[in-house]
Amino acid sequence: MKNIIFGFAVIAITTAACNSGNNSTEKNEKKDDTTMNNNTSTQSSGNTDTKVDGSMKEMVTQYLQMKNALANDNGKEAASAGNAFVESMGKMDKNSLSGEKKKKWDNLSDDAKEMAEHIGKNGDKIEHQREHFDMLSTDMYDMVKTFGAGQTLYKDFCPMYNNNKGATWLSEIKEIKNPYMGKKQPTCGSLKEEIKL
Amino acid sequence: MKLYKKILLTLLGGFIIIQFIQPSHNKSDQLLPTDLTKTVNVPDTVLDIFKNSCYDCHSNDTRYPWYVNIEPLGWMLANHIKNGKENLNFSDFGYYSKRKQANKLRAIAKSINDGTMPISSYTIMHTDAKLSEENKKMISDWVSSTRDSMGVKN
Repeated sequence: MKNIIFGFAVIAITTAACNSGNNSTEKNEKKDDTTMNNNTSTQSSGNTDTKVDGSMKEMVTQYLQMKNALANDNGKEAASAGNAFVESMGKMDKNSLSGEKKKKWDNLSDDAKEMAEHIGKNGDKIEHQREHFDMLSTDMYDMVKTFGAGQTLYKDFCPMYNNNKGATWLSEIKEIKNPYMGKKQPTCGSLKEEIKL
Repeated sequence: MKLYKKILLTLLGGFIIIQFIQPSHNKSDQLLPTDLTKTVNVPDTVLDIFKNSCYDCHSNDTRYPWYVNIEPLGWMLANHIKNGKENLNFSDFGYYSKRKQANKLRAIAKSINDGTMPISSYTIMHTDAKLSEENKKMISDWVSSTRDSMGVKN
């Protein structure tokens, strides 16, 4: 009996010790993160936009995959395109961006990344994916305008989505294929702008 | 010793052991420069609603209930808070890019109006955290005007 209690006490003390150890490493990691961010902002900017186009092209392709998957009511496919999008974003060579462009990238990518992550995580909740796709589309429009797309795109507008507040999306085709309404109302919406890049 | 006694003792022992594994608490009395109130203009009426109904899981300062020190309840709370802060942390609001801030505001208005926030598992224990229609309107109006001042549409 005494042995059992003693055993419990030993285990308890060791686990408690392990636990406090974990906490301190977590704090350290956070510190590292912030110093890293400071460093990147002071780095100088060269001017080779070739790599940028590469990851932007990938992002555009994956964005369009998300759009088409949502238009087909296929949340799973939208999710995998969302995850791929996040990965492509990570490949962007931020240091090659000039000051003004880098600012824009930081502003937009911080948001777009979260939107794409949510789309990636919610393959079984297509309406939730669509909410994030709405916000991602606004980011994507601004990104394409700033960084190029490598192909002609069309900006479409659906007036009904989000309680008639409306939402935009980008498409590779002139015909309307609505990612917010899906198969219910696939042709709802209108072409607003041709983005030639 | 009879078998059932052994089982009981093991369970009790297990329960005692897990009491020693306490997650660190989400407590801070520091107002960071990235705090919501330092980033955008927040009237006290709105801030009070946030503090009362949202800050426990969406800021760096949780008001803990007494049962936080009983495991595994404390672990569950820690997990809720971690998830909550990952999605929105008012203490880190200024850390988000402008675009992200604007969309966080939109998400705040949406989630309180469709009732997904505050989550029901929280309002069961904190009945006073439930939002009245008046509360919801106050927040929605504040979100609209703040987003306007940031120059975003919809």
